[in-house]
Amino acid sequence: MPETTEQMIEYIVEEIVRRPGVKVDEDTPLVSSGLIDSLALVDILLKLEDVTGTHIPAGKVQPKDMDTVRLMFSTAARVGKPRKK
Amino acid sequence: MSKTWLVEAVGISLACLLSWRVSSPRLRQVLFLISSYLFYAGVARWFVGVLVASTLMNYGWGSLLRRRPTAGLLWGGVLVNLLLLGGFKYVPGISASWAQMSPFAALTRIAVPVGISFWTFEALSYLFDVYRDQEIDPSLLEFSLYMAFGPTVLSGPICRLPDMLPQFREARPLEWEDLRHGLQRIWLGIFMMMVARTLGSGLQPGQGVDAGFESTRLGGIDVWLLAIGYGFQLFFDFAGYSHIAIGVARLFGFRLPENFNLPYLSTSPSEFWTRWHMSLSFWIRDYVFLPLATARREVWWRNLSLLISMVIFGLWHKATLVFVIWGAYHGVLLVLHRVWQQTQRRFGFDSTGWFFTPMAWLVTFLAICFGWIFFRAPNSEKAFAMSRAALSPTSYHPPSFALDYYLVVGATLAGYFLVSALRARLGAEDESIFAWIPVELRSGCYAAMLYVLIFLYFVAFQTTQPHAFIYFQF
Repeated sequence: MPETTEQMIEYIVEEIVRRPGVKVDEDTPLVSSGLIDSLALVDILLKLEDVTGTHIPAGKVQPKDMDTVRLMFSTAARVGKPRKK
Repeated sequence: MSKTWLVEAVGISLACLLSWRVSSPRLRQVLFLISSYLFYAGVARWFVGVLVASTLMNYGWGSLLRRRPTAGLLWGGVLVNLLLLGGFKYVPGISASWAQMSPFAALTRIAVPVGISFWTFEALSYLFDVYRDQEIDPSLLEFSLYMAFGPTVLSGPICRLPDMLPQFREARPLEWEDLRHGLQRIWLGIFMMMVARTLGSGLQPGQGVDAGFESTRLGGIDVWLLAIGYGFQLFFDFAGYSHIAIGVARLFGFRLPENFNLPYLSTSPSEFWTRWHMSLSFWIRDYVFLPLATARREVWWRNLSLLISMVIFGLWHKATLVFVIWGAYHGVLLVLHRVWQQTQRRFGFDSTGWFFTPMAWLVTFLAICFGWIFFRAPNSEKAFAMSRAALSPTSYHPPSFALDYYLVVGATLAGYFLVSALRARLGAEDESIFAWIPVELRSGCYAAMLYVLIFLYFVAFQTTQPHAFIYFQF
């Protein structure tokens, strides 16, 4: 598993979900299962920008594109633009 | 009225039978589009022209946007749609405030095309999706059907083209399961709307939620009863209507998005908005809140985005002060919940368990019901007076409504929570909790109850005061 994926999963488990016993992997549904709400989705989107070093225009993203960690990274690859330094 | 509904019921049945015989997807689309336009024209008369104009405009705009996906073109399309919506829906209301000035008097007489808020939001989601590079390439016929789709054109659920397009193009034969499920949903919907009617009108003339909101002397207990009663009236009315829309679509083999999912079992305002009027709530989340909230990184901006999104939610219903307050109130509830979540995290406080979960439910339930005062009150003065009565201990004098009204509300609540708890426990769909009854007996009972309900609704109740579906006004 790439380091960035691990970083993202760790963030979701420890900062967002924070429920004992809940396990998250690359394909765990997060939005559709109700595990995360709209506000948490914003946190995750911003974290994804940091992890991938891109700017992800939210106007190009739908919650279903962020449903699993795997989908998040493919979304970032699809619509993310390199950040201006 | 009953004659119109009878014609529509016969029309739907005929279209259903015809569609079952047609295997070509294109021919089915033509058939559905013609019947959808006839249905809409039957209800909204010449406003069908507005629907066709909006369809053509949005289809053209979408094609342009696909070739040149620029933000300017997107916002141009959004603006045109909002002008159309605002022209019909908001100008008459705003003009009424200045009706004494002659130039505005004529504007108050503009009628609203029924369902315009629903199909305009469907058109907007199409433009947003095209801008987001979604792979959707509808033909004009398919897009027209999406906008005018009979089961949803009047009051939703608000659909998305990426979900509907594959269904329009599918040539799968209809199955017995579609018919069974569709009829069950229609039956359940009619039943729920009858419950809403009973809550609204009461068992005797001059009682019920509708009369209660007109009353001038309300104590704290009365206000809470009215707020809770109205919350359930609105739920049974709109969720019932949604069941019917979903059921009718299913008769033709289409699956629509769900609109309600046990909303009054929510243990937080955030959860409530994933369970109440879901098709609009998710629309606001996807196309308003997320783009807005991620524009800046500061926490205050995220909270402000929540507030703005919920005010837009309120304004979607009507451009009146009470709906702005109702939306803002929910925005504040969501922000408070967010602050509470952060506080819990900071101090490592676990708010689940046998005590905190029921408490969270109770607080959420009362907060949501309190908000209904603003949703239902005829004006802001009345809403504030009722709020004061609900929150002021000195106003808690003995209740002024007749005992049977308390029984109606109590019985409705008991029934709702019993069925909801069963559903939540079994994780089942509405009908599955009765799965233990033999299917032949179930079908017979459903059919008999459906006929009784149809008879009551279309024949017996026509002699009393008419009841309008609440969301038709939006």
